[in-house]
Amino acid sequence: MKVRINPVYKKELKISVRSIRLSLVIFAYNALLAMIGLLAFYFNFDANGYRNISYSSVLVVYTMIAILEFALILFVVPAFTANAIAGERERQTLEILLTTTLKPEQIIIGKLMSSISTIILLVFSSFPVMAIVFAVGGVRFVDLLQFMVFACITSVFIGSIGVLFSTFFKKTVPATVFTYGAVVILTLGTLATLLIIYLLVVQSYENNYYNSGAVGNYNPPGLGNLTLLLLVNPAMTLLSMITKQYGSMDIFKEVLDSFGGIHESIVNNWYYISVAVQLVLSGIFLKLAAWKLRTK
Amino acid sequence: MLEIRDLYKRYGKFTALDGLNLEIGKGELFGFVGPNGAGKTTTMRIMSGLLRADSGSILIDGIDAVAQPMKIKEKIGYMPDFFGVYDNLKAMEYMEFYASIYGIEGLEARELCRDLMKLVNLEDKEDAYVDGLSRGMKQRLCLARSLVHNPELLILDEPASGLDPRARFEMKEILKNLSSMGKTIIISSHILPELAEMCSSIGIIEHGRMVIKGTVDDIMSRMSASNPLIIRFASGKQEAVQRLKENPRVQNIAIQEDSVAIGFSGGQEEEAELLGSLVSQGIGICHFGREEGNLESLFMQITKEDGNEG
Ligand SMILES: Nc1ncnc2c1ncn2[C@@H]1O[C@H](COP(=O)(O)OP(=O)(O)OP(=O)(O)O)[C@@H](O)[C@H]1O
Ligand SMILES: [Mg+2]
Repeated sequence: MKVRINPVYKKELKISVRSIRLSLVIFAYNALLAMIGLLAFYFNFDANGYRNISYSSVLVVYTMIAILEFALILFVVPAFTANAIAGERERQTLEILLTTTLKPEQIIIGKLMSSISTIILLVFSSFPVMAIVFAVGGVRFVDLLQFMVFACITSVFIGSIGVLFSTFFKKTVPATVFTYGAVVILTLGTLATLLIIYLLVVQSYENNYYNSGAVGNYNPPGLGNLTLLLLVNPAMTLLSMITKQYGSMDIFKEVLDSFGGIHESIVNNWYYISVAVQLVLSGIFLKLAAWKLRTK
Repeated sequence: MLEIRDLYKRYGKFTALDGLNLEIGKGELFGFVGPNGAGKTTTMRIMSGLLRADSGSILIDGIDAVAQPMKIKEKIGYMPDFFGVYDNLKAMEYMEFYASIYGIEGLEARELCRDLMKLVNLEDKEDAYVDGLSRGMKQRLCLARSLVHNPELLILDEPASGLDPRARFEMKEILKNLSSMGKTIIISSHILPELAEMCSSIGIIEHGRMVIKGTVDDIMSRMSASNPLIIRFASGKQEAVQRLKENPRVQNIAIQEDSVAIGFSGGQEEEAELLGSLVSQGIGICHFGREEGNLESLFMQITKEDGNEG
């Protein structure tokens, strides 16, 4: 059997490999990571002497790199994917594609894959540097793998939003702006929304409480299942993953609890649930983009 | 091969296609002519599935273009009026990309693309980057690209626009060549004479309607019936003019040095009668006949109402 690679993806790959930019970016990125890694180890080991290797400082290095890569994804993926369809439209190559037998789904998927492949390549290329951490201990191989999966899924999630905006807007600029906007809303907006709602709820509870003479226990209500909104927040996914890898999810639970708790089993499996939710959303976004491409 | 029935398309309030009808037989090289804004591009975009018509039907090879767009896409090759190319891609890779869309890969694709590039005289540009090609070359490359899946119907929207005379000539030769290979081709243009010499038939569109359609000769003779009758005299011009003025069929007379041009309402029989009567009066006539139509004036005549629109 012959496996057919998505033609759009294959073509984009050919173009991106051709430009020297890609190899420069990979080199610069890994050089930076290596530097951070070495510096971190220097301060952890040499400065303190070998006796005091603390696993927690190894974890700090790992966490730092993980957050760095996460931030990179949030910054880079919107710029690449928002260009996917709108760029093709601006270059006046989209119409030709649409008159071929290529299905809109194929165009969308090919574009998404090619737009996020660079960043995923970057993430995977940092594997060796990150692997230094588990050479020391503290972080296991599966933890690292889990992070890679997380990085891929976040790229797909953000990428599908970018591609969606890219099909809805005729121009690259508004598509890019809206994609960054969506990233801000997902990461900070969800938290801010919950915070505002929470404050309003507490406020009205307090008004009631004191107006009725402050009898009974002071026990403001939580937000309950509204907190599940955070499942779409990739930053929360990362937080749940890292805190779990640390052993206890205390910090993560604290954040969630501040809004009023949700079910224990959801908190414990937050990573898997949120990843699933984000994948389903990505599927919906991509379907929507293909539908938009099909209607004229 | 192609059958368009009562096609309507509105952009908001503006009616771009107003009940367009068109039929094209297999193997025809059809010239689709009309002034700017007549609706050529709109029609072609609907045919190739880029745009949805408000109503009307399009059958290509008996297949409904609206109901089965995928089947239609296998049958047509479309070249838009404006298009772009990718950066950082060589001509051969450009061709191979589109071949791969149709599942043609590897050596087979390489050979096919080579043949097609030869067909459009670009065989020496295989390794050139597409964005560095001249406009004429890009247009030819795009034509070759539209042929990768061996479509039966080619829809070419102004393939010669923006080309210099030599490139136009080349493009024409390529199209004639394709036509002789048995492809059905529709070419749009707003220059009638350019199409007339290579097309087997033409249709003139105006305000979203087909105004006239037929073979070039057919249209020419139909139109020339209203052209002035030119009579050139060897002798007896004064007397002839007198006679003509008395003839009720003569609407006007324009007298030139040795000839007159008259507006004459009547068919060939009446023309013969007039000639006979003039000759029998002893007038020396050395030329008698309708003025040859010229395509440009024909086009202007048909599309005159809106010469200053847009
Ligand atoms: N997307 C659109 N929105 C609004 N009006 C449009 C749109 N596309 C075309 N039109 C209008 O429809 C009419 C037909 O346009 P079309 O492009 O089909 O003309 P054309 O015959 O191809 O002209 P040209 O020779 O200039 O290419 C024009 O008056 C144009 O203004
Ligand atoms: Mg046009």
